[in-house]
Amino acid sequence: MDDHWVGVLSNIGVMSFLALSAYLLLLTGEISFGQQAFFAIGAYAAGIGTALWGWPLAAALGWAALAGAAAAVLVGLPTLRLHGLYFAIATLAFAEMVRILFEMWRYQVPIDGELLGPDGADGFRGIRYVFESNIEPSQYLAIIYALLGAVLLGFLLLERSRLGVSLRMIGEDPELAELNGIPVKRCKVLAAGLAGSLAGVGGGLYAHLTTYVEPRTFDVMLGVHSLAYGLIGGLGTALGPVIGVAIDISVLESVRMFAGYRMIVFGGLVALLLIWRPRGLLDETVVHALKARLRSACRCVWMSARVGETRR
Amino acid sequence: MIDFVQNTLDGVMIGSSYALLALGFTLIFGVMRRLNLSYGPTIMIGAYLGTLLHVDAGAGAAAVAAATVLGAALAGVYVERLCFAPMAAGAGIASMVSSFAIWMQLEQAAILVLPRHTYAFPPLAAGAPLTLGPFLVRLDHATMLIAAAALATGVYLVLHRTRFGLGLRAIVGNPVAAHLVGVDVRLSTLAAFALASAVGGVAGYLVLAVDQQVTPMFGMWATFKGLIAMMLGGLGSIPGAILGGLLLGAIEAHAQWYFGPHIRDLVTFAVLFLVLVLRPTGLIGEAPPAEAAAYGRA
Amino acid sequence: MLEVDGLVTAYGKIEALKGVSLGVERGGITCLLGPNGAGKTTLMMTIAGILRPRRGSIRFDGADLVGRTPAQIVAQGVALVPENRLVFPQMSVRENLLAGAYQRSDSGEIAADAERLYERFPRLRERREQLAGTLSGGEQQMLAVARALMSRPRLLLMDEPSLGLAPIVVDEIFRIIGELNRDGTTLFLVEQNAHKALQVAHRFYLMEQGRVTFSGTPGQLAEDEVIQRAYLGTRRAAV
Ligand SMILES: Nc1ncnc2c1ncn2[C@@H]1O[C@H](COP(=O)(O)OP(=O)(O)O)[C@@H](O)[C@H]1O
Ligand SMILES: [Mg+2]
Repeated sequence: MDDHWVGVLSNIGVMSFLALSAYLLLLTGEISFGQQAFFAIGAYAAGIGTALWGWPLAAALGWAALAGAAAAVLVGLPTLRLHGLYFAIATLAFAEMVRILFEMWRYQVPIDGELLGPDGADGFRGIRYVFESNIEPSQYLAIIYALLGAVLLGFLLLERSRLGVSLRMIGEDPELAELNGIPVKRCKVLAAGLAGSLAGVGGGLYAHLTTYVEPRTFDVMLGVHSLAYGLIGGLGTALGPVIGVAIDISVLESVRMFAGYRMIVFGGLVALLLIWRPRGLLDETVVHALKARLRSACRCVWMSARVGETRR
Repeated sequence: MIDFVQNTLDGVMIGSSYALLALGFTLIFGVMRRLNLSYGPTIMIGAYLGTLLHVDAGAGAAAVAAATVLGAALAGVYVERLCFAPMAAGAGIASMVSSFAIWMQLEQAAILVLPRHTYAFPPLAAGAPLTLGPFLVRLDHATMLIAAAALATGVYLVLHRTRFGLGLRAIVGNPVAAHLVGVDVRLSTLAAFALASAVGGVAGYLVLAVDQQVTPMFGMWATFKGLIAMMLGGLGSIPGAILGGLLLGAIEAHAQWYFGPHIRDLVTFAVLFLVLVLRPTGLIGEAPPAEAAAYGRA
Repeated sequence: MLEVDGLVTAYGKIEALKGVSLGVERGGITCLLGPNGAGKTTLMMTIAGILRPRRGSIRFDGADLVGRTPAQIVAQGVALVPENRLVFPQMSVRENLLAGAYQRSDSGEIAADAERLYERFPRLRERREQLAGTLSGGEQQMLAVARALMSRPRLLLMDEPSLGLAPIVVDEIFRIIGELNRDGTTLFLVEQNAHKALQVAHRFYLMEQGRVTFSGTPGQLAEDEVIQRAYLGTRRAAV
């Protein structure tokens, strides 16, 4: 695989974490314009872990997840009482505050005769753990996708768990969920914490992929993008947001023939897609139908296997 | 003390354009119950149309103003047709994301037509500042305030004294009941969109004429300034939008004076965050349950 | 006056009306009874043009209403007082009445009509500058009726006007229904209060699971049976 595509695929993998983070909250019916804040917190936390404290990557990523989750729960507690646009704008305000604080934050430590660490608006350079540990880009790609695979597996289990059902019920109708004895508030804070940790890990992976982070990367546009991915790919399954990211990054990157018209074409296509499928390509109906077909196919295989057995 | 009053004065004048931005925003939100992220970019398109006339044909301030307002209204109609009209009830998020996609489209369209990073925008009112005792008032700021006040009054009168306004308020109150009394909801909604975008166009023109330059980033700036002002004052309320805009202007002016531009934005977002958490309806606003129910959940 | 024939209306794949046929006679009070979820509201919304039927026809004085917009249907002389009233909460009582006359352009007559309605509903006159959202449930129902009357309908559709109201207010509503009818308005009324409905109705229909299952005049069916079927539907009533 050539380097260009390794880079593109790595980007898709890393952004998927952010998109899944927004998607998880969307399942509970909440729109967040602020998941990029936890992505940023994760990026800085993991970068500091490896570059300044000399931690191994795994520990740094764990720390990024923890930091993202803690921050998300902390903002979630006061903001999750809000609904709809109120919640969305409160998360936006929080994320912008985080971004501005990172633009002002300096924490530099001399490492091997070089000042490293967050340097205000100039960002945090020299997060070179991957390079220094001789991890090949393709190996790092494998790490990203192994983690992403684990997360998707987690989503699959979540969908089948009581928590997953509760979250969807809350998304459909919080009052009804409350009446059915679901602890709405606690479930939402839990979802927000999980979403924060997802974004945190994604941020940590991102920092080590690019080797430097700049606060201005984590602006509202990133947050709105991550929200849009779920709606493009589809809200019916956790694969949806990943597909949304893949469409955005790969299609957009490879469709060079449109040159200056790229966003005009792409923006228009997304608008038309949403008219056609307001809940994305893989919406609940499609996923349901696919599952049913899969199940009957499995049953067929199983039945024929049984038939074969009895014949024998 | 003199500084404080002078800052407040400056802030309120700038804030009058934020108030107009919020007014247009709240009009769209009230009628649609959906967020139009493309609101700022439609205004930017209008401003670019004006700039094009200015750059290519040497158009003067009046023509540029007219083109900005008209362009914004037309772009608003485009957004409504593509992102809002075709979406069923309950697809509020799809509309929002779709309007974001169209934002990207409008921004690139503007860059295609006028590719430089910045263009000069014709100034509003040149002349020596007015003095009010110890205080100074820039002439263009004063013009901005007066124009904004006149337009806000005009919008209020349209909403409360005309049949069209009655229909719009009926839609805001209850779309099904509006249908039942015979309001042509689709047409009125489209007209409201055009009107709101035109109001935003006026705000955009005033801001740009004071800044005397325009960039494609103006779209993002306008969306977020309008959104913040609207949320500060309270969703779905015209007095709220005006108050939110003026307040935002004043907060920015003070914070800029005492702490500089970086902290200014931090203070703005902190105030917004606190207002939302402590008083979710904004300073003057409708009760949240109606909004939450109508907003269309994910 | 109103002829509904073979009407099918669906939400997505689910047909809420499965071929409804019924008629409303001029000058009378026609009642539609049936359990929750039978499709009564769906029928009213379809007649008013809010919902589009899949099949079937709705003829009003010979003109086909299917495919017309709600505004055109109001202009034809059909007004609906919707379920749950749906007043405009942020508008005053006076403005709500004005909105009811949205289709009309004769402003002098509009003011006179509003005056006449204040005569009929004195409570509304007392509260004319109050926001509709702050009225009591009964007052909101009066307002919803008055608002519909402002379009000068020849046929007034009412969807469960007594829903959630105190018995004394329900009596008041039914008194007004009788008065309106005596003054020449044709009424087509959806009710859950079968006892009250059978008292005023000239003709009634029973609807269950999207179909009309009985039509006749009060007295043709024992009130007990009507009540059972109207609340519970045939299936459970038979148990
Ligand atoms: N907006 C809707 N979407 C989907 N199904 C609906 C909707 N409104 C009503 N229904 C269904 O249509 C059927 C008829 O409902 P409705 O007309 O409200 O009955 P009624 O007024 O007799 O209680 C019910 O099964 C109900 O669940
Ligand atoms: Mg009903």
